[in-house]
Amino acid sequence: MAADTRFVAPTTVVEALGALRADGALAVGGGTAVGLLLGHSLIDPRVLVWLGRIPALRRITADGAGLRIGAAVTLRELSRHPAVRSALAALATSAALAGNPRIRSVATVGGALAHADPRQDLPPALLALGAVVEITGQDRSRTVPVDGLATGVMETVLQPGELITAVRIPVLPGLRSVYLRFTPGSTADYPTVAAAASARRDARGRLLSVTLSLGAVGPTVLAVPEAAALAGERTPSAASVAAVADAAARRARPVATRLGSAAYVRAMAAVWARRALTACLARDLVGSPS
Amino acid sequence: MTIIRFGLNGEPAQVHAPVTASLLDVIRGLGLTGAKVGCRIGVCGVCTVLVDGLPVSSCLYLAHCANGADIWTAEGIARDKPEVVEAFVRCEGMQCGICTPGQVVAAVAARAELGRAADDTQLREYLIGNLCRCTGYATIIEAAKAACDGR
Repeated sequence: MAADTRFVAPTTVVEALGALRADGALAVGGGTAVGLLLGHSLIDPRVLVWLGRIPALRRITADGAGLRIGAAVTLRELSRHPAVRSALAALATSAALAGNPRIRSVATVGGALAHADPRQDLPPALLALGAVVEITGQDRSRTVPVDGLATGVMETVLQPGELITAVRIPVLPGLRSVYLRFTPGSTADYPTVAAAASARRDARGRLLSVTLSLGAVGPTVLAVPEAAALAGERTPSAASVAAVADAAARRARPVATRLGSAAYVRAMAAVWARRALTACLARDLVGSPS
Repeated sequence: MTIIRFGLNGEPAQVHAPVTASLLDVIRGLGLTGAKVGCRIGVCGVCTVLVDGLPVSSCLYLAHCANGADIWTAEGIARDKPEVVEAFVRCEGMQCGICTPGQVVAAVAARAELGRAADDTQLREYLIGNLCRCTGYATIIEAAKAACDGR
């Protein structure tokens, strides 16, 4: 550990970007991931740039297109936000179930994305909801889709000096979404399989779009484009849902962990993909988090 | 080393701490050993403290993030909210005692969050991350419920 490591707590995004220009600068959301990595000497930053005192990053705002969620919003705040709970149930649920209350008190949306641990709960929910990640750089900003952020386990497209400032999520009428996590050990574990699904219907009940995404079954969050084929029908058959779930399992790239072999995780990926789709497509299901 | 100032159990505190220090290291360094060193990965709950009223794993909380915050540990809670500790004693909500300070802090957080209406399921969900290796959960939940009910 370098003795000259600095800690700064900027109050504006501009100040944060300035601090992030330094060599070895690292953005800190809630610090749960950074604290873990520091505690095990896995990182050696020169400057810790804490985002917790930047009001602009702590807001959830609505515009005509949807919600913009600041990167320093905590999982606790996200899970309790009325607009998130009513319009983006999968996201509210993923935030409500991640880790434990102590983690949710401090861990942030931006941190969950930047950390790029494939077992994080938020990315599959964000991906199923069509969210994009807003990245602000020193001289330009850009957006990437949620599955375009991580390139591998704890690796992302973020360049030095860049900061995740928000996620933007469309809010569409007739949308229902669910998030399920499978934890065969303790329910406070990282998920063995996480599955998020969304379904959007028109006023006559016809399916306009269906999405499915999985977490924890590979090095990055996984989109399952085969789910789109379920749109166009009023009630997809159990067989067509199962076919999409099987396609999801084939796309998985699981590794063995203490909670199961790769084959087990792949088999469970099909089960939980099917459950998420089935729950999302059920006409009588209430879409709000329990 | 940089100075950090915060409220600690209702009193002003200031310490010099490396910027990479955890809040757990800092408060134990001040002689408050109620928060224990356990898993150090935010899973076990024995280092639970309140930061601005919310429960956190102090092992994963950077001490410098606490600059200006209001920190409460089991010691302060035992002094200011003795009824919570008494509920644990009365319900025998402890066995070996290692997890107990964290359980007490978590129970205070649960009371603030869930209030009197808290049922067993909500309390179990809330205390899920406070592990008891003696598996004394039934009486811990009973104690937390008693603390929420004001019994």
